[in-house]
Amino acid sequence: MTGFATRAVHGPISRTDAHQGLRPPVYDTVSFGFDSAEEIEQAFAGKMAKHSYSRISNPTVEAFEQRVLLLSGGRGAIAVSSGMAAIANVVLALAGSDTNIVAGRYLFGNTASLFTESLSPWGLETRFVDMSDLKALAGAIDHKTRLVFLESITNPQLEVADLKAITEIAHDKDVPVVLDNTVTTFYLCSSIKLGVDIEVVSSTKYISGGATSVGGLIIDNGIFDWKKSARLAPLTKKFGPYALMAALRQEIYRNLGSCMSPHTAFLQTLGLETLGLRIEKSCANTHELALFLEQHPNVVRVNYPGLPSNPWHGIAQEQFQGRYGGILTFDLESRAHCFRSLNALKLIKRATNINDNKTLALHPSSTIFGEFADLRKEEMGVRPSMIRLSVGIEDVEDLKEDLRQALERKV
Amino acid sequence: MNIQVNGEIVSLEGPVTVTALLAQQRVESPDMVAVQINGEFIEKESYADIMIENGAEVEFLYFMGGGA
Repeated sequence: MTGFATRAVHGPISRTDAHQGLRPPVYDTVSFGFDSAEEIEQAFAGKMAKHSYSRISNPTVEAFEQRVLLLSGGRGAIAVSSGMAAIANVVLALAGSDTNIVAGRYLFGNTASLFTESLSPWGLETRFVDMSDLKALAGAIDHKTRLVFLESITNPQLEVADLKAITEIAHDKDVPVVLDNTVTTFYLCSSIKLGVDIEVVSSTKYISGGATSVGGLIIDNGIFDWKKSARLAPLTKKFGPYALMAALRQEIYRNLGSCMSPHTAFLQTLGLETLGLRIEKSCANTHELALFLEQHPNVVRVNYPGLPSNPWHGIAQEQFQGRYGGILTFDLESRAHCFRSLNALKLIKRATNINDNKTLALHPSSTIFGEFADLRKEEMGVRPSMIRLSVGIEDVEDLKEDLRQALERKV
Repeated sequence: MNIQVNGEIVSLEGPVTVTALLAQQRVESPDMVAVQINGEFIEKESYADIMIENGAEVEFLYFMGGGA
């Protein structure tokens, strides 16, 4: 079983189902029985592969995690309640008070807020760097740095960093790299091949298969020696290379309670089966819309890594197998023009979210970045004249027609 | 020969691979178990090659644990 699509559809099936169902059942149960006190003792000690409590592990969620591992590679995977939960769990597992993390200067707004608003009062410093400036990255890492964090394609600036170069720099200083691979997933971007240590994904997006459910993933690619992590080194005595998985499953993830529901795991396992098909269609549509918008007289500029003129085109082509993701942004004359055009859309939805099967349009400055001051938004590359399109899998001519009539609306 | 598996004495006819021991012990979810032999973690890729000898202490660890 080697092809991505084959693996996505077929397996693995780790546990035998009593009825040989072709799809794992949904275990909507909080707790599980044991045949003896000795057995439940073994399970609590981690010596037996039996589930005890669904906040910690659940068979349907386990089946989803195993399918993710089969597709992404890596040592271990934990499914969580959201992409933000995945990020928070990883940072809490690796960093702490009086430490720092080095993050890409452009991050999803809520991620930036997590670092600067939620975690800084607990003594975590975040150093934002331009990840295309490798010297600046190297200079920002010191003995208190616990991880480097970046996104595979930044949202909505659509910058692409050289992951191989970044992981080399970080590893040279014994620091793990955490990649938010949401907008590319392990289908387009093999983080393990690029030397990334931990992959976090909002499985709400492409993986859920049509925006059915909110979820997240933490994948340990098994590259980093956790003896080099100040937080995890003590755990390596007992758990060796599984120190991160143990820290999460037996403490951080367990105590935070950011578990994925069995029903979500079922839906997202189903989503995995068509992941490749949907990403291909979404990327092809995005490319065509970028070219269409580039030619439209009302459009001031288009930003999409798939355009040869884009500064990130080369590195994106290399890292994402010749596809460039399903998001583009374009600028109109003004915020007012953006609002007028958005209001005129008939097919494309005015909605937040990305990588749904439906094409979605959003004005980032007034929504997902609305809480930031104008100067901060400018620093983050979020302009009032910018619209973000997350392109779905519809017939592309229908999308072009909707954009055309919306852009040309006068009032 | 005798080995220990999760603290229990197990009698075997002779040295076995990790793969064979997992099957012999009817370990559920062999994909999810981490295997330690004499305190050293064994990579999954080596399960079919590593031989478990007389007197070995084997630990099967799962990252589930318990709660509530």
